[in-house]
Amino acid sequence: MLAGIDYFIVIAYIIGMLLLGLYFKKFVNSSEDYFLGGKSLPFWAIGMSIVVSDIGALDFVGVSGQAYRYGISVGNFDWVGSVPAMLLAAFIFIPYFWRGGMYTIPEYLGRRYNQKVRTIASVTWILFFALDLGVLFWASAVLLNVLMGWPIWISILATAGVVGLYTYFGGITAVIMTDVVQFIIMFIGGFALVFLSLYEVGGWDNMVDKIATMGPEYRNHFDIIQPQDTKSPFPWTGILFGLTFVMANAYMIGNQSIVQRCLTAKNEWHAKASMIFGSALKMFIPILVLFPGLMAVVVHPGLEDGDQALPMMIKSILPPGLVGLMFAAFFAGLMSSVDSLLNSTATLFTKDIYEPFIKKGADDKHYLKVGQITTLVLLLIGVATSPISSDFPGIYVAIQTFMSYFQGPIFAILLLGIFWKRTTEWGGLSALVIGIGFAVYLNVFKEQFFTIEDPFLYISWWSFLLGFIINVVVSLLTKKHTEEQLKGLVFSSKILVENKKL
Amino acid sequence: MFNFDWLSGVSQETAKMIFLSLYALIGLLVLLLPTEYVYQGIAKEDRHWWNNLKLWSIAVLCILASIYNHF
Repeated sequence: MLAGIDYFIVIAYIIGMLLLGLYFKKFVNSSEDYFLGGKSLPFWAIGMSIVVSDIGALDFVGVSGQAYRYGISVGNFDWVGSVPAMLLAAFIFIPYFWRGGMYTIPEYLGRRYNQKVRTIASVTWILFFALDLGVLFWASAVLLNVLMGWPIWISILATAGVVGLYTYFGGITAVIMTDVVQFIIMFIGGFALVFLSLYEVGGWDNMVDKIATMGPEYRNHFDIIQPQDTKSPFPWTGILFGLTFVMANAYMIGNQSIVQRCLTAKNEWHAKASMIFGSALKMFIPILVLFPGLMAVVVHPGLEDGDQALPMMIKSILPPGLVGLMFAAFFAGLMSSVDSLLNSTATLFTKDIYEPFIKKGADDKHYLKVGQITTLVLLLIGVATSPISSDFPGIYVAIQTFMSYFQGPIFAILLLGIFWKRTTEWGGLSALVIGIGFAVYLNVFKEQFFTIEDPFLYISWWSFLLGFIINVVVSLLTKKHTEEQLKGLVFSSKILVENKKL
Repeated sequence: MFNFDWLSGVSQETAKMIFLSLYALIGLLVLLLPTEYVYQGIAKEDRHWWNNLKLWSIAVLCILASIYNHF
C-alpha cells in the first residue's frame, strides 16, 4: 500500500537517522560520555527522549485496539499512570541519583542494600531487555509487514543496522538526540492521522453522539473512571492502587532506560526539568494512540479484533505521503525502543556485572570498549533470536507479564530504601525474592483470585504490599545500618536546602 | 479481598473525586518544596519565574485535573 512518495519519505528518514546518530560519535571519549552523555544534555531533549522511547510501534496498534474495545479509560496509563510518578521522580529520586553520580538503578540498590540486591536487580533487567530485543524486532517487523507490506527481514536489518551503528558509536547522546527527531516525526505522523480522522467522523461531538447510540457495550466508552466491577482490565481500583501507586512509580523511578536519560542532564535543574517536561508531553500521547481507536468505532464499527482499528484507519483515511510519514512514525517508535534497550543493557552489564565481577580497576577506555562491544553483541543476539518469536505467538505479552512481576517488589525496596533508614540489606533482599515469587504465584493462579480479565494491575499492587511488609518486618529483625553506611543514600530534609555533594 | 470488593460501594463520581483530590494533594506538596531546591543547578542571577519548576508542575497537574474533570 506504499506509494513512491511514501518510500522516499521512509528511506530519507532512515538515512537521516543514521547520519544524525553518527554525528555524535565525535563527542564520545570516555565511558561517562558513552553511558551518561558526559552529563551535558538539556532537559528538552531528555524529556522528548523519555516519552518517545516509551511508545513503540506495537503500542500504537495495541493502545488503539484497547481504545476501540474499552474506550478512553486506556488513557489512564499516560495520564494518572505517568504524571504523578514523574513528579515524584523529578523532585525526590532523580536528584539523589544525579548528585550521587550513579550510572544505574541497581547501583543505588547496591549502595543502599548490598551487592546481592544489586546483582539480582541488574541481572533481571538485563535478561528482560535482552529477551525483549529479539521479540520487539520480530513483532514490530510483522506489524510493519501487515500494515505496509514491508518485508520482515528488511525491517529487522534496517533497524538493526541503523540503530546499531549510531548506538555503538554515539552512545546515549546519539540515542537521545535521534529520539528528539523520532519524537517530532511521531507527533507529526500521529497528529495528521488524528486530524484527518476527526474530519472523517464529523468532529469530536459528532463522534461522541454516534458512539453513544451504538449500544450498551459503549455506555462507559467516554468514562475515564471505570466502576470497580467492570469486566475491562481498568477498574478505578486497579488504576489507583496498581497503576498510580505502584506500576507508574516502578516504571518511572525503577526503570534503567528512563532514569539513565535523566542522569545525562547537564545539571540538577535540567535533570528535574526533563522529567516534568516529559510529563507534560506524555499527556499528548493518548491523543496520538487512543483517539484513532475511538474514531475507528464510528468509521469501522463491528471489528472482531480491536487491533485492526489503527491499520484500518490508516488505509481508509491517509493519502499517499502521509502514509509514508505514519510509517516513518512506526519506525521511529521501533528505533527509539531498540536504541534504549541496547544502551541501557550495555550500561547495566558494564557497570553492574563486568566492572565488579569480571575486571575491576581497569582504565576508563577499557570500560568504554566493553560498553560498545556489549551493544554490538546484544544487537546480534536480538537479530539472531528474533525469528524464534514466530514459534511463540504469545511471547511478547509473556515478557511484559514477566516484567510486571518485578515492578511491585522493586518499587517497595526503592521506596523504603530512600525514605526509611531502618531498612536493612536482608529486608531488601527478602522483599525482592518473596515479592517476585508472590507475583508469579498470583499470576499462575489468577483465575482463583481475580474476577477481571487481566489482573496485572492488582498483581502489581499486592506484590508491592507484600514486598513492603516483608521488608519492614525483616529489617526490624536484623541489624541496622550505621549512619556512615547510609550517608547520602536516605532521604533527608537537608537535601531540600543544601547542595551538598553526596 | 484481592479484587477490592470492599470498595464496590464507591460510585464513579466519588472515585473521580479521589483522583482529583490526589492531584490537589500532589500540587500542595510541590508548593511546599523550598524554592531554593527547585532552582538548584541554576545560577542565582538566572533564576526567573519561567524556570521555576513548581510552576511547571502545577501547570501539568492543572491540565491533568481538567482532563479527569471533563471525562
